[in-house]
Amino acid sequence: MSILTMLWRNLWGGSRTMLFPARPKVSKGFRGLVRFDPALCTGCAICRFRCTARAIEFKAAKGEFTWSYDPGQCTFCGRCVEGCKTHALSQDSECPPVYTTIGELKKSYTVARKPPAPRPAAAAPPAGDSQPAKSATGDMQ
Amino acid sequence: MNLTTALARLLIFPGLLFAVPFAWFFLWVERKAVALMQGRIGPPFMQPFFDFIKLLGKTTPPRNGIGGLLMKAWPLIAVSAAAGAVGLLPVLPTSGGFEGDLILLLALLELPSMCIIAAGFSSRSIFGEIGSAREAVLSVSYNVVFLLAIVSIAASQHTFRLEALAQLPATPLRWLGILAILVCLPAKLHINPFSLPNAEQEIYSGPMTEYAGPELAMWELSHGLEWVAATGLIATLAAPHLTIWWLAALVFVAISFGVVLLLSVLAAATARLAIDTTVRFYWQCTLIFAVLAVSSALFMRFRS
Amino acid sequence: MNLWNRLMCYSRRRSPWLFHMNSGSCNGCDIELIASLTPRYDAEQLGVRLEGSPRHADILCITGPVTHNAVKAIQTVYGQVCGPKAVVAIGSCPATTNVFIDSRTLDGPLNRHIPVDVFVPGCPPRPDAIILGIAKAAEILSERASKKLPLDPPAEPVCMCGHSSDCTTECAAKTEDREVLL
Repeated sequence: MSILTMLWRNLWGGSRTMLFPARPKVSKGFRGLVRFDPALCTGCAICRFRCTARAIEFKAAKGEFTWSYDPGQCTFCGRCVEGCKTHALSQDSECPPVYTTIGELKKSYTVARKPPAPRPAAAAPPAGDSQPAKSATGDMQ
Repeated sequence: MNLTTALARLLIFPGLLFAVPFAWFFLWVERKAVALMQGRIGPPFMQPFFDFIKLLGKTTPPRNGIGGLLMKAWPLIAVSAAAGAVGLLPVLPTSGGFEGDLILLLALLELPSMCIIAAGFSSRSIFGEIGSAREAVLSVSYNVVFLLAIVSIAASQHTFRLEALAQLPATPLRWLGILAILVCLPAKLHINPFSLPNAEQEIYSGPMTEYAGPELAMWELSHGLEWVAATGLIATLAAPHLTIWWLAALVFVAISFGVVLLLSVLAAATARLAIDTTVRFYWQCTLIFAVLAVSSALFMRFRS
Repeated sequence: MNLWNRLMCYSRRRSPWLFHMNSGSCNGCDIELIASLTPRYDAEQLGVRLEGSPRHADILCITGPVTHNAVKAIQTVYGQVCGPKAVVAIGSCPATTNVFIDSRTLDGPLNRHIPVDVFVPGCPPRPDAIILGIAKAAEILSERASKKLPLDPPAEPVCMCGHSSDCTTECAAKTEDREVLL
């Protein structure tokens, strides 16, 4: 009898269908489209290294670099977001949209490289001989 | 019964003009009822009509030779047989439906499943052959009960005329016959739990595998008309005898609708049974109905 | 356009029948496609029916990066779907082979073998995204019929290695002629 009570309850309890085109809200940790913030990016290309699907492309040039991302190639694993040291990448809680041509969703950004940070001025004189000389700041590429 | 009333009954009510929209209506009712019972919304009201129109606009693969001609012919035969069966039903009180008798009605009710069997074999695909074999086994199994029930009802009235079906006295035999026919209906209409021949996952829709486009539209239409004919048969057996024609028509539609809802509940509540269980069900469990119906018919005949 | 043509275009949008085919997928996208038929998402409210035979369907839904063994099967089934038809590539795999980009057992993205109309990205895409993709494919079917185009061939055959249309290597996409009925 339990199947019939189930059917009865379904019949009078109303359907739990979302009427098209309503879509349910995604959960909190949903990994959607990757968002890029050019202001925070330093051009280290760790994201390109970590990307599992080669969705991120990175081309370095003299004073600038080009970062591009193809959501069609992406598998939304989140490794690029985890690996970005400056938090320039974040993941949306938004599903990628439906598209009709290959490469339609690909986005490229050309970011001018930031000038290197200024070297700190000659600091306090070394206290004693035993202290090793500090090297100059490493060149940021 | 002159030609114009005969044509009116065959083409208007309960013939083609009434039967085709009601076929679509009953197909929608079944899908919607199953969907609501499963907690879904289900298709919108005009869905079977849109399906039909869309199918008319599709191309068909080329069919060559006599086999191709036969493949194109089976759905048309099925549609005309089912529409004829609906037209024959003694719905309206005066002088029954189109002039015919019970044997003709039974033959017309059988033709769609014969056409399905033949279509599966003439489509030359393996899945078609398996589906047709299953449909043939199913047909043999449920027809024993179905035919015995109807024939015993008719035999108890001493006649094969269709008006006798419409004006049955309210004996236990009538309800036994209706019950027997109701038990056979899921197999006749290919709904769960006996939806074996067009099992989609197992045999790629069985006999219909190679059909496309307008031919498929005709198969869907014949399926809908089978619904109308089969539920209409129950309605004519169960309806009380009324003299006002529009009241009789209304009662006919209402009882058919009720039977469709009942079968939808059955379809939603059960899963597809395998062929051996189906055959065992019809030969072991329901044969008792047929035996009871025949024996009570004989009993009533010898008593009267 | 007369009344019958308009009715036909409208019916094509309102009655998309699917056939689902797996060309080597991990089954994630297949599960989400079946999930779109469950009560929460209910693709049947759009008239969607999952059919058992490719001859019955209008829309071919393909999942999976196309493996070598699947190429012939996909081409055969595509030929068996009766026109007018549309193809939906579900998931990132058929569009771009996703993480399997260097695999030796694959034969490239799906549009190297058959023309694809809608891509539904995601790994796996959510069922509501799949339903959106199917609705878009149904619209495309109805628009094609209304414009009486011989089916939009792509302007340049899309070639994943970046060559142009006179590329002689195998990766130029084939445009099969699909007829529009009306």
